[in-house]
Amino acid sequence: MNLVRSELLKIRTTAAWLWMALGALLAVALAFVTNAWLAHTTLTGDADMLGLPPEEAAAQQDVVGQAANLYTSGQYFGLLFVMLIGVLMVTNEFFHQTATTTFLSTPKRTSVIFSKLVAASLIGFVFWLVTSVINLVAGALFMSINDFGTQLGEWEVQRAFLFNLLAYALWTILGIGVGTLITNQIGAVVTSAVVYLIGTQVASLFFFLLSSWLDSEAVLKWQVVLPSVASSVMVNSIESPMLPAWWVGALVLVGYAVVTGTIGILITRRRDIS
Amino acid sequence: MSDGQRSPTTGSGQIVVSGLTKQYKNVRAVNDLSFTVEPGRVTGFLGPNGAGKTTTLRMLLNLVTPTAGSATIGGRRYADLTDPLRHVGAVLEASSAHKGRTGINHLRVIAAAAGLPKTRADEVLAMVGLTPAAKRKFKGYSLGMKQRLGIAAAMLGDPRVLVLDEPANGLDPEGIRWMRGFLKALATEGRTVLVSSHLLSEMQLLADDVVIIAAGQLIRQGPVDQVIGSMAQTTRVRVRTPQATELAKALREQSAVVEVDPHGALLVAGVDAATVGRAALAVQAELHELTTERPDLEGVFLELTAGKAGIR
Repeated sequence: MNLVRSELLKIRTTAAWLWMALGALLAVALAFVTNAWLAHTTLTGDADMLGLPPEEAAAQQDVVGQAANLYTSGQYFGLLFVMLIGVLMVTNEFFHQTATTTFLSTPKRTSVIFSKLVAASLIGFVFWLVTSVINLVAGALFMSINDFGTQLGEWEVQRAFLFNLLAYALWTILGIGVGTLITNQIGAVVTSAVVYLIGTQVASLFFFLLSSWLDSEAVLKWQVVLPSVASSVMVNSIESPMLPAWWVGALVLVGYAVVTGTIGILITRRRDIS
Repeated sequence: MSDGQRSPTTGSGQIVVSGLTKQYKNVRAVNDLSFTVEPGRVTGFLGPNGAGKTTTLRMLLNLVTPTAGSATIGGRRYADLTDPLRHVGAVLEASSAHKGRTGINHLRVIAAAAGLPKTRADEVLAMVGLTPAAKRKFKGYSLGMKQRLGIAAAMLGDPRVLVLDEPANGLDPEGIRWMRGFLKALATEGRTVLVSSHLLSEMQLLADDVVIIAAGQLIRQGPVDQVIGSMAQTTRVRVRTPQATELAKALREQSAVVEVDPHGALLVAGVDAATVGRAALAVQAELHELTTERPDLEGVFLELTAGKAGIR
């Protein structure tokens, strides 16, 4: 418990979290406006103008799904920011050579990494809480003003909220894992951001081409092996032929968190700090 | 906890290094090194650059895994200590704090991890005289202030063993004198103080014992006077006079060994300064300088480590 307190103090006493929080709030604002427009367009029957194939457009015309999407606005960039906080929690120790001090006060390195994982999930929780409250208030207002109903009673909407929380916690943990694998701060930040932002697009394109080549839409579902796709699948309740079921996304993401966390602990235990 | 009442003099703070070895890919940084460090004394850990001092200290503190051998503090490995900061304080790099964090917050982070009260951070900051800079960010600290912050961090748990790697680096003369007084006082309280350095004149003033290593191996260990005395170097008298030839002749008659240094001064061994003065009076030599030169740690160190220089 002392260790978790120490880790949280480390974050509170430096400025990085503030920039990440501002970024996440900005992302929520922009995404909310976009999602609100999307919900309005699809639910009022102008889905054609989105240029989607008919069965996809029909799938999108789902008030509960659109509500869930709206209530989790800002997730895409929010997750990037909490992952970067996780990355920094580890790489800062090497960049500023505080790893020495940290491991002197706690020679049991597994405990140090575990406390970082716990602190990271708590930070993920706070980011989720703040963004969710904003989305809840703004989303409920938007839905009722447009006579779509708030949809807050729907299990799928509630599930979207809950799994969004899981996503925030897991992505911060993923960040810790990446940080222990790549201790060079700039290297770790750039790698994780690039893989998250561009890697996902490139891989999606690859899956899209593969699916046209094989003439099989089922192939697209394999995109879920990408962590960012997995987390959006997890919170998504829209049943699209292009996406697998939500629990597949959840399992994939938990898998990534467990694997990177475990490798991170094993590497850190063996590493010489000099 | 009974730990709170523990005085630093109780319990053994002896450091025992035994057969310690670290093999890196191409270099054996530390090779079968054994020595002991006693409580109540300042022990200087000396060696040329690259001799393996830092690697040894890091193995002692469980930061680097030894290839072979062991290092214990009070009979236990560092990794096995419960509440290690209450037993051992270490100052390793001058720059080991987050640049954007204030000095006081740096100490609070460590205090939190060690389960020490927050007020302890203010106490140790006052102890090293950094209170005025408590809320300044670490990047604004001078090298001397960074060293003091490092010492403050080491003192958080009121440890009975202090390990310091080159603490005098970057300190001004005032800072070096402060550090000397501080460490001597800690040793007087019965604590174990192990200080690595390559500033030999400073070590001669500070240390009671020395451990000298070169190329990863032990060269000599013991009390400073004993180590200096063990070497061939002896006390000499340096004398300058316009009548050098006459004086040298007179001294040789008293079976003194006389050499002439490049600047024309005589270096006299085998007799004391009073004898030289009397001899000068007898031959009516006019004296411009008469000094006793004692062998120092630097001379002994250079002799001991000759041919085992740092680059390996």
